[in-house]
Amino acid sequence: MALPNKVLPGFSAVLYAQPTASPTPLTTAQLSLVASVSPIAVSGNIIPVEAIPAFGQDDAVASFGVAGSRQSDKIPVQAAPTSMTITAAWNPADTNLLLMRADAASGVIDRTFVVSATDGTNIVYYAFNGRVGQFQIDSAPGAEAKCTFTIHPRGNQYGWSNNA
Amino acid sequence: MATQLNPVVYGKAIQYQLTSIVAPVPVYAAFNRNFATQPKFITWMLRDVHQPVYTGQQQSNKGIDRPTFQISIFTQQIEDGFTISNQILQALHGYSGILGSPTEGFWIAKADVMWLYNSYNNEEKMAQVFLDCTIDIPA
Repeated sequence: MALPNKVLPGFSAVLYAQPTASPTPLTTAQLSLVASVSPIAVSGNIIPVEAIPAFGQDDAVASFGVAGSRQSDKIPVQAAPTSMTITAAWNPADTNLLLMRADAASGVIDRTFVVSATDGTNIVYYAFNGRVGQFQIDSAPGAEAKCTFTIHPRGNQYGWSNNA
Repeated sequence: MATQLNPVVYGKAIQYQLTSIVAPVPVYAAFNRNFATQPKFITWMLRDVHQPVYTGQQQSNKGIDRPTFQISIFTQQIEDGFTISNQILQALHGYSGILGSPTEGFWIAKADVMWLYNSYNNEEKMAQVFLDCTIDIPA
């Protein structure tokens, strides 16, 4: 098997969080190894998000404009992994949402997160280490109560892999 | 770049999937009044087969298909119709996996069932329940 070779529906994506209250996050090298990443991508680790927000890397450029020169220049620099703001339907007893709540309370727990996307056979994984912040409950009437939080990835600690 | 999917394959998969969910209740691809003598049956109709096309001259530059099929449940007893509609909801709503037979089916990312309304046809003395099911198919 290889990378999914199809245009994928948005519904193909799933977010997983490494389990337990004090996890040992994967090393940078392991984040690109399917053998290390795929054990996290199991049903017990699913965070019940409504939709996977944009993931990947932020834009990062240094812009220079020199007085008197004809053109400015945008110089690409190393881009950080994108912070992900997650919205999940709130079940106060959900094991993985409780992990996120505890991470946000701590503020210093590094955890490996995995986003998978599949065409049914082949799977692509995006894995990164991050910390959770801004854990909030939005209980506006008219829909179910929402739990929102933001995962801030650690710099350079991400990787791509696929099932083989 | 996306493959153009084949509606014949959709039709076979829908027929197979609905039959396996509601068996032994018969499933038909369109309504015929002759069937109305049966105490319970369901029919389906496929619509909105469409992959968005994107810019340029390359025909395969298009997106995924999200077709909808309407499921119409006909029963002499109103409760039977609600029971069959529940079987379909439990099996299909939120389903992700193979739609159709193992040999001719295909993988769908999600099935989304909307229970539209129920009704009663006094001429045929049949209760009816209508559901819409939208499926997301990688292409």
